[in-house]
Amino acid sequence: MGVDEVKSRVEMALAEKIPPFKIVQSMRQGLSTAGRKYEEGEYFLSELIMSGIMAQELSKMLRPYLQSSRDQVLGKVVIGTVKGDLHDIGKNLVSIMLSSAGFEIIDLGVDVSAEKFVGAVEKENPNIVAMSCLLTIAMDEMKRTIDELAEAEQRRKVKVLVGGRPITLDFAREIGADGYGSDAVEAVKAAMGALRK
Amino acid sequence: MNKKERVMRTLDHEEPDLVPMTEMSIDPGHLETITQTRFIGETSLQTPVSADRRAEMNRVATIVLAYRKLGFELIPCDLSAPDGWSSKKNPDSTMTDEWGRVLSYDSKCKTWVPTNSIFAIPEDFERFPFPDPHASGRTFAIAEMKKNIGDEMALAAFIRDPFAHAWEMFKITDFVRWFYEKPHFIRRVIERITDFNIEMIKQVADTKVDLIISGGDYSEKRGPFVPVRFFKDVIFPNLLRQVEAAHKAGLRFIKHSDGNLNPILDHLASIVDGLHSLDPTAGVNIGDVKLRYGDRLVLIGNVAVDSLCRKTKEEIVEETKECLRRAAPGGGYILSSSNSWYTDAKLENCLAMVDAGRRYGAYPINVP
Repeated sequence: MGVDEVKSRVEMALAEKIPPFKIVQSMRQGLSTAGRKYEEGEYFLSELIMSGIMAQELSKMLRPYLQSSRDQVLGKVVIGTVKGDLHDIGKNLVSIMLSSAGFEIIDLGVDVSAEKFVGAVEKENPNIVAMSCLLTIAMDEMKRTIDELAEAEQRRKVKVLVGGRPITLDFAREIGADGYGSDAVEAVKAAMGALRK
Repeated sequence: MNKKERVMRTLDHEEPDLVPMTEMSIDPGHLETITQTRFIGETSLQTPVSADRRAEMNRVATIVLAYRKLGFELIPCDLSAPDGWSSKKNPDSTMTDEWGRVLSYDSKCKTWVPTNSIFAIPEDFERFPFPDPHASGRTFAIAEMKKNIGDEMALAAFIRDPFAHAWEMFKITDFVRWFYEKPHFIRRVIERITDFNIEMIKQVADTKVDLIISGGDYSEKRGPFVPVRFFKDVIFPNLLRQVEAAHKAGLRFIKHSDGNLNPILDHLASIVDGLHSLDPTAGVNIGDVKLRYGDRLVLIGNVAVDSLCRKTKEEIVEETKECLRRAAPGGGYILSSSNSWYTDAKLENCLAMVDAGRRYGAYPINVP
């Protein structure tokens, strides 16, 4: 099933006066099921990504029907691959999954300096800063960004999540991050958890 | 026994005198340290980025010098851009390669990395001038390397797997969307790249390479990127076409892939002659693979690249010894990392792996 087919089913549901927030709820349940099945080895990565793409498209489609922004957005996330690293496949997957789960995403791209993260936090006032890296030589930038956020007196205002191939829970704790995700599904769980803290 | 004989005997599943060694790639910074020369030329793990033949010759000479200094028995070489080609330099300092991939320069690693794509919709591919496999010069670097090494080392031509090539060309998210919405389109793209590769296999065979290594991943850490049925329906039949072309030319065919290959190993083992990487961080156990497929698959790997980045020399020696213990007995094993010597690997750890390989890799294997 492609995105267009799902959209036409949603149009039918809207025509049948099914409340949009209920459609969003069902979509998020579906996404959560896809995440669980991926973690259990039943779904492949392509199926997880496609679920995310569909949910992202439906969120855009349903936005005008939802009455308040609270119905639409769980929280705002500033995300980027840290300075010295140009790899973005993992970061993009996390963006899709967070966005489809209901987060507003401010994607700063790759090679993002600590100063740029701080600037984005000051401007966007997000709930979460999410940093990614693939190269071990870029890992220190995560610590530097956390330090810069503290220096700019922004650290207490945001939760910081980290992830990427070389990142471990121990490393996340060591640098003072609030959460860690070993893949896109865990990143969504970490983001949800961070909002509750 | 010379270095090349060591590899050829290994490919025949016989025990040579020593376990041969190689790396799929070594980042320019490490090449410079190993050779004490400056790396001239542009490079990317995924694609040719320059047709400057003088720079290509320098690049090849540096790689050969490094592999000689390391004592490696097997040296891989990638395809070249065709004669007269030049990359499209974009205003934002990126470049576009012959395959429509947009690459950014990674100044830390001194390599070009794919970061975007020119293909926004499938129709863009229909308008795209598909690379001509018959364009002259695609085997320039391989021929240059062969001229340089003669029969001193075994030479592997490095080609790109059509499935991996396709998702890299389109970016993984668009690839996935089109994979589900336009499966015939994705199938056709993979078939066209396979046709291209088959022509390349014929051409590299003429340059007297000894084997083919097909790069590009099938899996991530949890398992294959796409459902297994797609491997059976599309990926494996096209892989088989390439393997048959290689065999027809008298060449063995090694498939590289990171990630957890366990769900597709049975099928893969019935097609290719060997596997490279055997990613231990994704749950691939080289000892188990040896037990199950050691009689038909040559194994190349698998000291974890993450270990090379983070662990101590002593730990690397132990990890290398474990690889030798599990995979070397009976032959059919080439020692390497589980991918490449990236910039973030500690060179002292890489050299500790080589040193341990030499110290404990003599047949009959008896690793303390």
